[in-house]
Amino acid sequence: MLKKLNTREFKKTLSEYKLQLAVTAIFFVMWVIFFSINPKGFSNPFTYTSWLSVAPFTILPALSLTFIFILREFDLSFPSIMGLGGWVLALTWIYTGPTILGPLLAVFVGFLAGLFDGILITKFKIASLIATLGTMFLYRGIILLGTQGFSTPLGAYRESATTQALVGRAFGMPLQMAWTIAVAALLWLFLNLHKYGAYIYYTGDNRLAAKMLGININKVINYTFAIHGAISALAGVLATLEMATFWPDLGEIYLLKSVAAVVVGGTPLTGGIGSIFGSFMGGLILGLIEIGILAAGVTGFWIQVVFGLVIIFALIGQVYLRKSRK
Amino acid sequence: MLSSESRSNYIIGTVNLVKKFGKVIALRGVNFRVGYNEVVGLVGDNGAGKSTLVKTLFGVYPPTSGYIIIKGRKFRRLTPELAYKLGIVLVHQERTLAFSHSIWRNVYMGRELTGRFGFLRIKEMKEGAAKALNGLGLKELPPDMPVMNLSGGYRQGVQISRALTFEADVVILDEPTIQLSLSEVQKVLEYVRSLRRRGKSAVFISHNIYHVYPVADRFVILERGQIIGEFYKKDVTPEEVSEIMIYIASSGKFPPKYKDINLISS
Repeated sequence: MLKKLNTREFKKTLSEYKLQLAVTAIFFVMWVIFFSINPKGFSNPFTYTSWLSVAPFTILPALSLTFIFILREFDLSFPSIMGLGGWVLALTWIYTGPTILGPLLAVFVGFLAGLFDGILITKFKIASLIATLGTMFLYRGIILLGTQGFSTPLGAYRESATTQALVGRAFGMPLQMAWTIAVAALLWLFLNLHKYGAYIYYTGDNRLAAKMLGININKVINYTFAIHGAISALAGVLATLEMATFWPDLGEIYLLKSVAAVVVGGTPLTGGIGSIFGSFMGGLILGLIEIGILAAGVTGFWIQVVFGLVIIFALIGQVYLRKSRK
Repeated sequence: MLSSESRSNYIIGTVNLVKKFGKVIALRGVNFRVGYNEVVGLVGDNGAGKSTLVKTLFGVYPPTSGYIIIKGRKFRRLTPELAYKLGIVLVHQERTLAFSHSIWRNVYMGRELTGRFGFLRIKEMKEGAAKALNGLGLKELPPDMPVMNLSGGYRQGVQISRALTFEADVVILDEPTIQLSLSEVQKVLEYVRSLRRRGKSAVFISHNIYHVYPVADRFVILERGQIIGEFYKKDVTPEEVSEIMIYIASSGKFPPKYKDINLISS
């Protein structure tokens, strides 16, 4: 194995993972900057715990949104599906107590909501941006009607085994991050090593070709949206448990953050290619910026300025890297 | 008409195949047949329905009416997946490639080799792709290279090598020599000859009669969605085929001069 890794092989691997390396580099540069501004804050483990406890809510939907981008589709409804997930969890637990049934039902409802998005796109031929604009309002509206806008406190279940398994701490590491890493690994495997992952790539790269070669592109789109819905609902469950309260507006702040995570991670809107690793790092970077600016002690309004700069900088870099690939 | 007896002499065929796209009638009752170990040259003008006919045979389009016979089995409609299983492969005229992806992925696109739980057998596919490209004389192409880095001829080579990765009984090539250089054309023709030698059947669609003539056993001429001429190669020279084609292009009819060799009586 080592013998195989000669210089040429190594260079080839480097150029193949150029974008992934670039996003990792951005991550470390940001970290060094924030560390040098506030060495005390960034030596404190608590800073990392709070960063890793909220970053998963941006990263999880960004991971499956990467699939949607690879399909050359878009999704506006996942924040509302996160809300649906949290709501189904809260409702289930009120009736059954803190059992695993709550998260499972929530993920299932998320799956169905995503599948409905897919069917609107494939069966009714509505552009995904418009179809999910509709379901974004629809799903959120259902939550608001059902809750009358009131939040549901779940503090009583804080110590339950299910809560601890999902959002507890192990050696200071928030478990929601461990689940996020597990989901990222699964989605990466699925995308790159599984037949249906390949179909996601081909459907986004050349839809007509995929169809003519016998790939059922409607099925691919439907189920990709369903998986995206399920993972968004899981993010909603984790966020609800972390806050120990279900808020009816759960998810809304993650729409643009998750999109930004995917984009910073190097997945273009043009379809056919994308990186799960990139979206993961993209989400981590955005979380790092938030916590870093707060730790630097400057006004939080800087967060958006730095987000904007990082997105623009990352995209210019990606255009340059892609050009040099050819 | 196909009698039940002669039907078994054909590996694939269509019976009164009609295909409409809205109000446009692309195929008007086509009875097309390909024999065992036979290479059929399917020729005709632009818009005659050649691509529609083979796409319907391969299951890309459902027929409006009529049916398809494959190895004695009758089908009202096919899917590409089923067609593959029955041993038919179609090399499309269009670029059916995923451009950002590697050669090996493109070669096996839609027909991936998978192991347990549908995971890809990547190593096997890389080897299979290299072997198939080698069979077309394109051994210099590394299977890991993205297709977008290839020239037109190599891209066509990748499409054709799809057919080489499994033992298809019928290979349908829709304009395989378009955009190819002279030496590349020779490689494609050699591939068709090798199919013939190995007892397989092929359908070869081309505008260029000098590409089809060397490899075909029989010619079928499609004109405005109908077969108007069908004859054996042994009865004609390439120049005569050219003459027939030119006559049909201007008049829409089969030249009376060659009436005797035509297997279709009008």
